[in-house]
Amino acid sequence: MNPISLSFRLLTRQGRSGALVMLAAGLIVATAALGAVSLFTDRVGRALEREAGEALAADLIVAGRERLPREFFEQAEDFGLATGEIILMSTAVFVGEESQLIDVKGVGGGYPLRGQLRLSADLDGTDEAVAHLPERGTAWLEPRGLRALDAEIGDSTELGYSELTIDRAVLFEPDRGGSRFMLAPRMMVHIDDLLESELLGPGARARYRLLVAGSESAVDEFTRWVEPRLDDNQNLITVADAEDQTGMALTQAQRFLGVAALTAVILAAVAILLSAMRFSLAQRDLVALLKAFGAQGGSIMTAMSLMLLWLVLVSIVIGGTAGLVAQELIARTLADAPGSDLPPVRFGPLAGAGVFTLLLAAGFALPPLLNLRGVPPMRILNRSLDTRIGISRLLWLLPVGAALAIPVMQLGDTRLALIVLGASAGLAGSLALFGWLAMLASGRLARRARAAWRFGLAGLQRRRGAGIVQVTALGLGLMALLLLVIVRAEMLEQWRTSLPADAPDHFLVNIQPDQASAVEQRLSEAGVVNLQMRPMANANLVAINGERPPDDRMAGQVNVSWIDELPPANEIVAGEFFTAGASGEISLAAMWAERLGAGLGDELTFESGARRFSATVTSIREVDWNSFNVNFFILLTPDAGEFLPHQKIASFHLGDADSGLLREISRSWPNISVIDIGVIIERITEIIERVSQAAQVVFFFTLLAGLVVLLAALEATRDERRREAALIRTLGADNRMVLRGLLVEYSTMALIAAALATAGAGITGWFLATELFEFRYQPSLWLFTAGFVASAVLIVGSGWLGNRSVLRTPPVRILRTGS
Amino acid sequence: MNQSTREILSCHHVGFAVDAPGGRLQILEDITLDLNAGETLAIVGASGSGKTTLLGLLAGLELPTSGDIRLTDADLKSLDEDQRATLRRRQVGFVFQSFHLLPSLTALENVMLALEIAGFDNVRDRATQALTRVGLDHRLDHYPRQMSGGEQQRVAIARAFAGNPAILFADEPTGNLDRRTGQSIADLLFELNRDHDTALVLVTHDLELARRCNHIEEIVDGRLVQKAVTG
Repeated sequence: MNPISLSFRLLTRQGRSGALVMLAAGLIVATAALGAVSLFTDRVGRALEREAGEALAADLIVAGRERLPREFFEQAEDFGLATGEIILMSTAVFVGEESQLIDVKGVGGGYPLRGQLRLSADLDGTDEAVAHLPERGTAWLEPRGLRALDAEIGDSTELGYSELTIDRAVLFEPDRGGSRFMLAPRMMVHIDDLLESELLGPGARARYRLLVAGSESAVDEFTRWVEPRLDDNQNLITVADAEDQTGMALTQAQRFLGVAALTAVILAAVAILLSAMRFSLAQRDLVALLKAFGAQGGSIMTAMSLMLLWLVLVSIVIGGTAGLVAQELIARTLADAPGSDLPPVRFGPLAGAGVFTLLLAAGFALPPLLNLRGVPPMRILNRSLDTRIGISRLLWLLPVGAALAIPVMQLGDTRLALIVLGASAGLAGSLALFGWLAMLASGRLARRARAAWRFGLAGLQRRRGAGIVQVTALGLGLMALLLLVIVRAEMLEQWRTSLPADAPDHFLVNIQPDQASAVEQRLSEAGVVNLQMRPMANANLVAINGERPPDDRMAGQVNVSWIDELPPANEIVAGEFFTAGASGEISLAAMWAERLGAGLGDELTFESGARRFSATVTSIREVDWNSFNVNFFILLTPDAGEFLPHQKIASFHLGDADSGLLREISRSWPNISVIDIGVIIERITEIIERVSQAAQVVFFFTLLAGLVVLLAALEATRDERRREAALIRTLGADNRMVLRGLLVEYSTMALIAAALATAGAGITGWFLATELFEFRYQPSLWLFTAGFVASAVLIVGSGWLGNRSVLRTPPVRILRTGS
Repeated sequence: MNQSTREILSCHHVGFAVDAPGGRLQILEDITLDLNAGETLAIVGASGSGKTTLLGLLAGLELPTSGDIRLTDADLKSLDEDQRATLRRRQVGFVFQSFHLLPSLTALENVMLALEIAGFDNVRDRATQALTRVGLDHRLDHYPRQMSGGEQQRVAIARAFAGNPAILFADEPTGNLDRRTGQSIADLLFELNRDHDTALVLVTHDLELARRCNHIEEIVDGRLVQKAVTG
């Protein structure tokens, strides 16, 4: 007997058996989930690699919160380095009546010093690489910015006092980094246009950068020169830093998707194990017969292993194709449009996913098959001689090893992998525990039930072990999807509505003191609500009680304000807020005070321009940042306003009141930047939506894997169900009663899975809301409706699919089957 | 008893054939037999002779391809599968070689389930009585896996008699039991048959068991070849 031809015969003849189909389904889902994630991360990884060394558009950057001194530029040029300058800020940009939050980048000097920009003359045009700046008076806008503003090339736009014509679409910039999917659309302008816009007040939170590039030694020399000259608000950014940062973003995305894929893989492994055990059980007669006819154990095992190999190869091809489709879905969901700058798919990672699947098969499907080696040929004469051999302990180490190897390899981080494994085991364990309790309760119920109910609930009891695995598997998949689809949307919505109705939805920054009263008057006339206008100045914190403050990004240059009464949404938690007419006192936000280690009675010393002043902490405030009011970490007594150069910042609630108001303000006072909070919240919502949609693609595989577990378990117990159905029909039950019994069994299971999934998703959402976002999340009826309907459709539907043959079982079969 | 002359089962020129790859395969041919209430009939024959198929036809689990069967006055051929199931609920009891108890139900619940399917009231009391009658009143809450083969078959017999059927079909009821247990199960069957005035149709290899019946029919190659009345 040739093992190879036997293996083919086994595959083709047994191919129609449900167990083998389920085995293949498990393998396909595992390959698809892993394949999708690794193909996608490979593309993002290569996109980053391709831009390696260009991630800064320079060799070194000096970054600061104010314009960098000319001396730095001159010195760099003296060392023979090329220089460039950029200023980054966010502001609302108008085209006609449309406005949009835009990341503006003013570029000057030789930008980009490394890499090239890719531009297009129109939205659908081909891209051209350029290495020069935008002309004065022109702007380059990212395509999604054009779409958002409903603008076309050639339209004009205003940036503060600068009037610009949109000249090109910018498709790619080397220093956009790993946040390519995230930020507001980019507009690139000449640096002088940005400087003349008068938008660059302290409230604009602009970032200034000096770019240098040249020989390694010149860069080193400049680094040595500039390092000791940097102040607290300036720092160096190297190519490695930038790559680390984008690398980190990538790693995080990879981990997130990896974790999602992991749950799918674990469930698929359960399905593989269940169906392989069932298949091997069904092969015992065949193996006994082959042995009785003289086939050697070794060649039977070879044939079985080869058959599994063929099955795995077929599954890898199908699963790989599904993975390809899924990764494209993920890429399109995360990017703005098809064909954004990800490199094309490379098939290498699929090979990796294939190896994973092989490993999975070797770990979970091979042991039950190899177990057939122990089937005695005597079984053919007397079945009672067939002792059922459990899978030997040594072989069980294989699946456990494989199961542990997969997350480690996928996540590339043993500790995280163990945490994820532990957490999913904990979650699955608690789901299983509650599943078991629910089954127990249904068993109690069965004692009081009659006929179809008793039969149905008893069936559930009979297959309690399998039932718990089924509801846990499906519950997990369902919970993940409910969390991503419904709880996420509800949480965002409830967070939004948890904000007071008159919470400020707009900020005006960079209001000059002489403009303040006119602006205030105009806003009041327009009927805005909850208007607050506060002074704001920049100061350097130089000492706490005479000592240098700790190194912290919240120290150094800070925004300060002054006021004579406690502002709304602030609550004193220690000390007393200063009285009107007080001077030299300071009130700190609790968060800032804790971080910097400052407390009541401490003396803080600041510098602003040439002036140095000190004040004593007399109160600590708890600030409700969710109020969206203008709030400051540091509040001084009003006398500070007399000597600190400052501008004003306003917050107000506009609602749907007057849409022309913002346009008018930016026309009348072009230096004022309008920040639309609603737009920012919308943008954040959109980002969360996209990331969760991408994860949904992967979690869909988790649900699919849960379904395969369900079907595999159904398949494994089908003979038993047939026997039971035949028995009660022999006892006089009609088709309806059998159907009702099955319906009772599956509905109960669906009920338990839905209860687990909705409760799990609801509790997780509530926990996230209270712990992270500090509001109370209340799961809606919709979550429960969706959970229960989905669970009923999936479980009752697949129960019906899996039990069609049970319903067709003729009662006479009972006379022909053994126990 | 005046009921004992009432005809419970009659079977005229019954044949059963199936389509097989090699052509039509005749499994049973020209079977004719009758049974009155309270009477007992043993069907004996070699393996593959068609005994079990005949039992299935007589109980209405399958329909003959030719001939007529009347079970408690109903013409089986005129009933569809659900109607035949309804007939079985009240009139027919079964005892199988391999017991066929639902493993997830206790002894009591197994008997109750059959009574519930038949639509009886007070199923708990009836089931308890039936189990007490077969000597298992101390095993009511035990699961099949906790009972011996003999005990499981007693539960099956209690299940079969609990609904007071007009006729009981038993397929090798002692086939899976040792000789002594088999003997006591057979005693129980005949005792209940007498007490309930139930007709009994028994398929068996065991000639000793067969001889305890009023009639014995032997099947050879799908035909009845010998009729014997043992008294």
